[in-house]
Amino acid sequence: MIINSLKLLIFIVTLVIFTGCKSTLTVKGQFPTPVVNKLPYTLGVIYDSDFRDYQYTEKDTKRDEWEIEVGEAQLKLFNTVLPAMFTDVVSVTDIKNKQNYSIDIFFKPHVDELQYNVPAETKLNMFEVWIKYNMKVYDNAGLLLADWILTAYGKTPTSFMQSQESALNEAMVIALRDAGAGLTLKFSHIPEIHNWLKKHANK
Amino acid sequence: MMIKLSFKCVLSLIYILVVLAGCTTVTIEEIQHSATELVEGESIVIIGRRTSSDYETEPELISCIGKILAKGKNQLNVIPEQTFVDNLYPWFEPRTAPLRVRDLQRLLTYDAVSQKFSDFNVHYIVWVDGNTETTRSSGSITCSLGGGGLGCFGFGTWDKKAEYEASIWDYKNKKLIGKISSEADGTSYMPAVVIPIPIIAQVQADACKGMAVQLKHFFNNTQG
Repeated sequence: MIINSLKLLIFIVTLVIFTGCKSTLTVKGQFPTPVVNKLPYTLGVIYDSDFRDYQYTEKDTKRDEWEIEVGEAQLKLFNTVLPAMFTDVVSVTDIKNKQNYSIDIFFKPHVDELQYNVPAETKLNMFEVWIKYNMKVYDNAGLLLADWILTAYGKTPTSFMQSQESALNEAMVIALRDAGAGLTLKFSHIPEIHNWLKKHANK
Repeated sequence: MMIKLSFKCVLSLIYILVVLAGCTTVTIEEIQHSATELVEGESIVIIGRRTSSDYETEPELISCIGKILAKGKNQLNVIPEQTFVDNLYPWFEPRTAPLRVRDLQRLLTYDAVSQKFSDFNVHYIVWVDGNTETTRSSGSITCSLGGGGLGCFGFGTWDKKAEYEASIWDYKNKKLIGKISSEADGTSYMPAVVIPIPIIAQVQADACKGMAVQLKHFFNNTQG
């Protein structure tokens, strides 16, 4: 009886210890509207479910177990940045949709990779985040126009009494802001897009 | 009597340690190339440089300097860093911010950016670069839980160094008009006799005060 009770106690303690090891973070932040000149085109943006619900789960057993939900925050960022870049932005589910006749170009972002470092790993007392995006732009016929990689980076120093979650959230928000900055400032300079814009300059 | 004396000794020790606490040495240097001309209604903005890969200028240091400049005698109109950076997104992000005064020209070719500067009525931009770090730590404190409760014994000490440099840009005349550096060193102690007593040297806060006082002098004084 005593042994059974002891086994139950050990089981409960083990469960509590292991449950407590997992850290979850839903990234939350505010993203400002970019101050840029609008391109006079209608953009159709495609957010697939991978993008909308993007979640990073740590698979390396040597590291702390983290689950980082980025989908909602990055959707908020792109929904702030794109309307500032184009006269009109519509959300579409599919490039081939017949109702897409008024759209000039389509844009489809995708997260290729997310990496982070915690202070114990860098010895720099900083949280660091890298997000590698694959951006694709299609013309109104659905043909691939441009395909490029945009890498975003964010870091934040740890502060006294600040939780790991809030410090990592801050680094994530800085990385997302960096993604927004990179997209806004580099979009027209992507050679294929630059050529397309030159061709359609009279619109 | 014996116990009373020991208690007095402990109190005296604590008093001595508290009196010794916060000993920080601050060194300020200033170079002023030309006089400042802040007229009523004009503002300054203080922004942290965040381009280095191995440190980051702390936002709390920037807001500390801003708060000191915005109050007391000869107070200045200071635009909060985050308000300015958000309103000019994405031009003042860590990887897009102008590194040289002449880079400002590129930004001002955008009418919307130029308009934002006019709305804020910015005359000077102060870029602060640097950080505060722990340079040395030693000692040890052991805490244990016994029948009499939790108790800690030992002694710990650590040194901190703060190094900051402010570059002052004249937005209206598009030139660098001066630099101020603020360096602070301090040692913190943590004796533990049952309870740990942290005696913290306010290194970053002292570097902030030194920098802010000098900046105030810089803006309220003509050619230095």
